[in-house]
Amino acid sequence: MFTAGNHAGGEHHGLQAVTKLSMEIKPAIENGTIATLCRMCDTRCSINVHIRKGVLREITPGQINPVNAGRMCPRGKAAIDVFYHPDRILTPLKRRGDGSFMPISRDQALAEITRKIQFLRAKYGARSLAAWKGEGVGFFQQEAYVRRFVRGLGSPNYFSNDSVCFSSRYLGNLLVTGFWSPFPNFARARLILLLGTNPPVCHPPFMRSFADAREKGARLVVIDPRLNPIGCRADIFAQPQPGTDGALLWGLIRALIRAGEYDRAFVEQYTVGFAEAAAYAERFTPEYVEQASGIYASVVRAIARLLMENRPEISVYAGAGLEHYENGVNSIRTLVILATLCGTVDSPCGLYWPENPPLADLALAREEPLLPKQPIGAGRYPVLYDLARECHTMTAMDYMEGKGDYPLKGLLITAANPVITNPNTRRVAAALAKLDLLVVNDLFMTRTARLAHYILPAATFLERTELHLNLEYQRLYLTRPAARIDGVGTEYELWRDLAQRLGFAGEYFPWPDEPAVCRHMLAPTDISFQELEAHPEGVVYAPLRYRKYKRQPLPTPSGRVEFYSTYLKEHGLPALPEYIPPRFRYGADDDYPLMLTTGGRMTLLYQSRHQNIPRFRLIHPRAEVEIHPDNARELGIVNGDLVRVVSATGELELAAKVVHKAELLKGTVEIYHGWEEWPANLLTPDTLTDPISGFPLLKSIPVRVEKVSGDQAAQC
Amino acid sequence: MKVVYVDLDRCLACLSCQRICTFQQLSRSQDADPNIRVQVDMDQRLILTHTCRQCASAPCIGSCPAEAMARDPRTGAVVVHGARCTGCGLCIMACPYGNVHLMPNLRVAAKCDLCGGDPQCVQVCMAQALHYGDIHELIRKKREGSQGSLALDVINKKTTTSD
Repeated sequence: MFTAGNHAGGEHHGLQAVTKLSMEIKPAIENGTIATLCRMCDTRCSINVHIRKGVLREITPGQINPVNAGRMCPRGKAAIDVFYHPDRILTPLKRRGDGSFMPISRDQALAEITRKIQFLRAKYGARSLAAWKGEGVGFFQQEAYVRRFVRGLGSPNYFSNDSVCFSSRYLGNLLVTGFWSPFPNFARARLILLLGTNPPVCHPPFMRSFADAREKGARLVVIDPRLNPIGCRADIFAQPQPGTDGALLWGLIRALIRAGEYDRAFVEQYTVGFAEAAAYAERFTPEYVEQASGIYASVVRAIARLLMENRPEISVYAGAGLEHYENGVNSIRTLVILATLCGTVDSPCGLYWPENPPLADLALAREEPLLPKQPIGAGRYPVLYDLARECHTMTAMDYMEGKGDYPLKGLLITAANPVITNPNTRRVAAALAKLDLLVVNDLFMTRTARLAHYILPAATFLERTELHLNLEYQRLYLTRPAARIDGVGTEYELWRDLAQRLGFAGEYFPWPDEPAVCRHMLAPTDISFQELEAHPEGVVYAPLRYRKYKRQPLPTPSGRVEFYSTYLKEHGLPALPEYIPPRFRYGADDDYPLMLTTGGRMTLLYQSRHQNIPRFRLIHPRAEVEIHPDNARELGIVNGDLVRVVSATGELELAAKVVHKAELLKGTVEIYHGWEEWPANLLTPDTLTDPISGFPLLKSIPVRVEKVSGDQAAQC
Repeated sequence: MKVVYVDLDRCLACLSCQRICTFQQLSRSQDADPNIRVQVDMDQRLILTHTCRQCASAPCIGSCPAEAMARDPRTGAVVVHGARCTGCGLCIMACPYGNVHLMPNLRVAAKCDLCGGDPQCVQVCMAQALHYGDIHELIRKKREGSQGSLALDVINKKTTTSD
């Protein structure tokens, strides 16, 4: 059933034989249950791994962690499918001249990688080397290892998946309130406003909070070009043109200000730039918003009324749907300003200002910035580097192609699959192929791994000891391995062993193992390793306290909520989050009459992960381009037809799925972004970016759709 | 007797119950049809999720000419004996709720058997729209519940508020 596509699963360069080694599994216990946290997505629900006769048999939900409250999702249950997956890479692999791979010992792999790193560092300088962390290993502790390693190497170049997901929301929040607000406590809201997000699929625990709030009479407003089932429960569901949320949000700001229905006391005491924002908002009349976004003026007024009636008990949440535009950060800033006017800053259901535990600074965030070493992308996107302290992955391609200020020659990638997940994927593959050294640490032979000189076998989350931080509930967790596999190292072992060979382990990785790292991180806190070990459901490190801005200034340059950012102005960027209409709104292109959005989530899959789990593949056997029935009719396309989607960047052949007329805005087509065999990012450009975060345009790409032939599935 | 109860207003059609039921059926036979179904009507904007209510009267049992349906004495679930079922479909006609169906490949009747007393669909319902319990007990809880909710009270006891 993996043969549905044009890039069938067979082309593994003779890897089947290499990877089909027997797994020497060492379970933590022969019989019993290991309580841990799930990392099949980043929600991190409590789970129990049941082990019988040394075999991981089943996963059931943990009962007392408030994150999941005794329930879990089918993704988490399949962590066992991943752990025992027959395609797992179990030994280091080295690429031969003909592109095939041969197994080598871990010692040989690390020795050869070390020699190559030393050679490149001597010849081109330390900054010709970089590391890139993917979503697969998570953030926090696993991310900190990579940041430490890069620093130890002497390079400023740390890359991550955050370049195309999350950073825009992070910056959008930081630039206004100075802090990253975790998920709001929706259960306490009287009005929930969701934009560009599909929580039942991408944040399943939100569902419980939504239902709790709705049972108490809360209203729900859903803004999305796509009608997901949650839209069926909405009091107001509105379909904007992609990328026009900023216009709607400014329209709502204008309505609140004109009606005088905003938190005046808070605005006077704790904000800067209100007058400028109020003046700028003037042009966003409901009629203007209708023209700009496609949302009827009457609907804009109705949403504004709901905001006025329910403030300050309002939860707003924007998903990745708002990020992937040229105006992403500013749309999110506008949303944060709207939430501020509603009086929700640091309130129970609003923009909560989380308190961090006093952990040791593993990521070395408080050390001097590496700006003098010219981190890649820091010149083009100084705000991204300044606030997120990471490099820009799209700019990395220039450096690999020799068009940067200096060459990028060696790259170590862990748990990332940029050949699928970064825009303009054909260029990404070509750029990676130019490297003198590409090392990929992963569970499976991804498209990215196939380009590597060395592939290292990675461990799953079930094989690690690590700390987890949950800002929403202000809890710390410790997870312990359910099993280890002979020859498969953890992330820590990888970075520590490489650092040892390169001579900087003493300074950067002095701890013998991960439990020792965790103890080091916990040392400044009053929570012990043993206490966390005894409480797999997590330990509250600080009670939730609200309205803290009354006692201490907000962490912005002015100490207040910034409607107007002098900091951005100093960087030559608009001080107000001005609304710039997406490029396609200027005029239709006859060659590319439809608008492609990518990145909408699917059940069971998570970014580019989980598509090789056979039972998941039964549900989602192939990629589909979703199309409105009117557009399909015009093009002579019926459900299941093989079609070609063409953009200015590239083209992709896949099956068509004609959706219900209400499901997608007419003129919009959608493709899931994570498929190995059908990379949607063949179509996405890497040149149109958000000027603040450098985020790519992934959600309004002009395309055309052409019918190729009848239903492919029917022919198999 | 314990049943799977669907609190429809809480359901957001994430489809997790239907997915996990598919996997559960798949682990036993080649027929992967789920015994809980989530239907989304995009015209009416309606979400309808339904599964067997394990009725006390169970007209499906009485309708079966082959005596292939019976109540599991341990769980109280109405179960199908696949080896006896002839696929005549009378139970499907008899069910007032449409919660019995014919497996497409094996051509025998199929319905929810409560996974032997630990229904997987309830474990994966993160909206807490599905509950497994004695129906009278669930009704009592719903009556007494502060806001009519059956959702577990898992508010962190250590958390305090100062708002």
